[in-house]
Amino acid sequence: MSGSAEAVPLLEVRDLATHFHTRAGVVKAVDGVSFSLRRGEVMGLVGESGSGKSITGFSIIGLIDPPGKIESGSIRLEGRELIGLPSRELRAIRGKVISMVFQDPLMTLNPVLTIGAQILLALEAHEKVSAEAGRKRAIAALAQVRIPEPEAKVDFYPHQFSGGMRQRVAIAIALLHRPKLIICDEPTTALDVSIQAEILAEMKELVAELGMALIWISHDLATVASITSRVCVMRHGKIVETGPVLDVLTRPQHPYTQSLLDSLPSRAKPGTFLARGGGVPDASPPARRSGASPSRGSKADASYFVIQDVSKLFQTPPGILRLLGQKLGLSQPSRGVQAVDSVSLTVPRGEALGLVGESGSGKSTLGRMAAGIYAPNSGTVRLEGEPVMGGGARPHKNTTRIQTIFQDPFASLNPRMSIGDSIAEGPIAHRIVSRAGAAEYVRQWLAAVGLDPTFASRYPHQFSGGQRQRVAIARALAMQPDVVVCDEPVASLDVSIQAQIINLLMRLRTELNLTLIFISHDLSVVRHLCDRVAIMYRGKIVEEGPAGQIYDNPRHEYTRRLLAAVPVLPTAPPA
Amino acid sequence: MKQASPLARFWNEFRESKVALAALVVVVLMIGVALLAPWIAPQDPYDLANLTLSDARRPPGYVGSGGFTHLLGTDAQGRDLFSAILYGLRISLQMGLIAGSLAFTVGVTLGITAAYLGGRWEAFIMRVIDLQLAFPAILLALVISAVLGQGKFQLIAALAAAQYAYFARTAHGAAAAERGKDYVEAAFSTPLPARRVVWRHILPNCLPPLIVVATVQVASAIALEATLSFLGVGLPVTEPSLGMLIANGFQYMMSGRYWISIYPGVALIILIVAINLVGDQIRDQVNPRLRR
Repeated sequence: MSGSAEAVPLLEVRDLATHFHTRAGVVKAVDGVSFSLRRGEVMGLVGESGSGKSITGFSIIGLIDPPGKIESGSIRLEGRELIGLPSRELRAIRGKVISMVFQDPLMTLNPVLTIGAQILLALEAHEKVSAEAGRKRAIAALAQVRIPEPEAKVDFYPHQFSGGMRQRVAIAIALLHRPKLIICDEPTTALDVSIQAEILAEMKELVAELGMALIWISHDLATVASITSRVCVMRHGKIVETGPVLDVLTRPQHPYTQSLLDSLPSRAKPGTFLARGGGVPDASPPARRSGASPSRGSKADASYFVIQDVSKLFQTPPGILRLLGQKLGLSQPSRGVQAVDSVSLTVPRGEALGLVGESGSGKSTLGRMAAGIYAPNSGTVRLEGEPVMGGGARPHKNTTRIQTIFQDPFASLNPRMSIGDSIAEGPIAHRIVSRAGAAEYVRQWLAAVGLDPTFASRYPHQFSGGQRQRVAIARALAMQPDVVVCDEPVASLDVSIQAQIINLLMRLRTELNLTLIFISHDLSVVRHLCDRVAIMYRGKIVEEGPAGQIYDNPRHEYTRRLLAAVPVLPTAPPA
Repeated sequence: MKQASPLARFWNEFRESKVALAALVVVVLMIGVALLAPWIAPQDPYDLANLTLSDARRPPGYVGSGGFTHLLGTDAQGRDLFSAILYGLRISLQMGLIAGSLAFTVGVTLGITAAYLGGRWEAFIMRVIDLQLAFPAILLALVISAVLGQGKFQLIAALAAAQYAYFARTAHGAAAAERGKDYVEAAFSTPLPARRVVWRHILPNCLPPLIVVATVQVASAIALEATLSFLGVGLPVTEPSLGMLIANGFQYMMSGRYWISIYPGVALIILIVAINLVGDQIRDQVNPRLRR
């Protein structure tokens, strides 16, 4: 390569500003971002949601649609200005020189075309190829991203692939024209940790092998640390800190980077409040009504909350024609999916049990059966000897002593009810508070979860994700439960918000002496919060034990694989 | 941060479409004049003492024996057509709204109940409704009103029976989608009584698409009623709706006295088009795919 070409960086972004002109006003999504990228360099773009990291990526590849607009700045690719280029010329660059991989391959792959046909289309966008040559190239492209049996898989449709395989296909398409730069926007966020580890390793090899530059956009510091050499930390549309990844993560200069790192449960001692997480309110929750909780048995009572041999089979209910067919012996009943396969668990009073597994392991279904939302097909769930579900033709939940906190605070609150009504509804219906005392009760709970008590009359859309999760926690705890099932309560939150909610849960748990069942795919959060851990795999519990033992000395092969797949943050080298 | 209430935001967005705003003004205006007909109309068209046969079939602009101008002319009995249209609007709107609300109540109850119950009951209720949707509403309404006979209540029953299925279908679809959402599971996990979950949680969240269907169905109930009255199986002659006014003038169409049929027809068209335009705008606004 000549000396002059070496002097010009591959990509040079200067003072980039991308704004969105919305009904509510101008949103400065990217507000003066500058960085440059050398050939073959791997750079991470890290930030929480709304930091502008994805919009920076979209701006580079020229995919900003109204109401978004690149206001000012320059984006130079090998010295050539991309901003203001006619769309025809941009198209010649997009996919050929710069390509992009998105978070959800299910959204970016066309469901009605085979993978081979889609690869051919991507090829034809930039060069003339015959169908035969295109097919050969497609097979080679699939082989390159380690898809087994590429000759057969080339004729598959996207739905026939698993999530990890689909993302590999998306990467194969992005690599087709040997781009000089590939931008990956949260490419592993939707994937399980073990798949994520595979993709990360493969991506690293491919980048080295093909010598292309990579911009890896992610909210997850650990994945960024494991693939990139340099990192930019973004906040509010600006880059607050940039440098070699090891330096930034071990000796952060900017207080925001420091607070992001402090928010990670993996860096804190288990069971302690997360530093800088804050979120621990001063106010205490309102006192329990007297005699609400019969406290039989001691803390070590082994038969406190017992899940015994529960199974759940999901079947689509047969339609009339199918029923008729079954009666006549013409069709078979559908086999369905065995989500949970005779699982037993015992949780002593006051314990926090972590239920860990990858997607499809049945952990959420088990949690919903424990919470009395689903009736098990067989087996029982009992709290102090009393069954959670009442029998009959329509099984229904019998107790208010078990409550649930859901993953997505945007979906778990009724959008047409004020949060005060949402919190007060259950306690009023079950006479925990009188109708007259409800308003004061709601105010006390809002204060106890760290929200302004005057917010009671507001509606869910007026709150951020973290605030909504606080409301959901108040709603569950206002029922004065003994057991709380938390289904991924922090999975959809940014790390700093996640730290606040973890702190809040820890504090309320000790204050109210709650028994927790904490469902999560995130091993570090579970380790931080839980006393005991159960690992679920394909509907069964494969290993169960004290948290320390599971993490330090896993016995089951699956647990070992799971733990090995978790990306680890670099720690400071000894000074 | 100041946040407008959902209703205020909805109204601000609605106002942006000039066509929809104009249509809304027309609808409100028509409802207004229908309500105020006895005070606005120059003549009580159904008080026979007011009618003079010498004023019959006069063209628009004719100054009759009552001493006022017949803006839209007169009909075969010497009735002021403008007044007759105002009174006709009153009856048409009344029929449309009552039949629409009845169909709404029955249909939504059935649809949501089916979605909540699931299983065989859902299959049974929804298949019956599908079967009914396979018949044209006009045919069904014709048969029912022929069986029940003439009369206001019989017609309302016929209209509601012909239309509830659309509400049931929409309510079922919306409720089935809402039922699987986390906030409904949260309500069941509290646990709240099933009735409360259905009416306080599921129903309010199904309302947006139902309001859209309701506006369109009120318009089509009015059209359906006019058709039935035109065909003579609708309202009795003592309750002349717009449809009957059109029918009354029909025989004079060929003899150049166009106004007796045309003007009630124009009023009917304006009303239905305006209601549909308002409904279209609401549909666009509640459709998340069209949101900006």
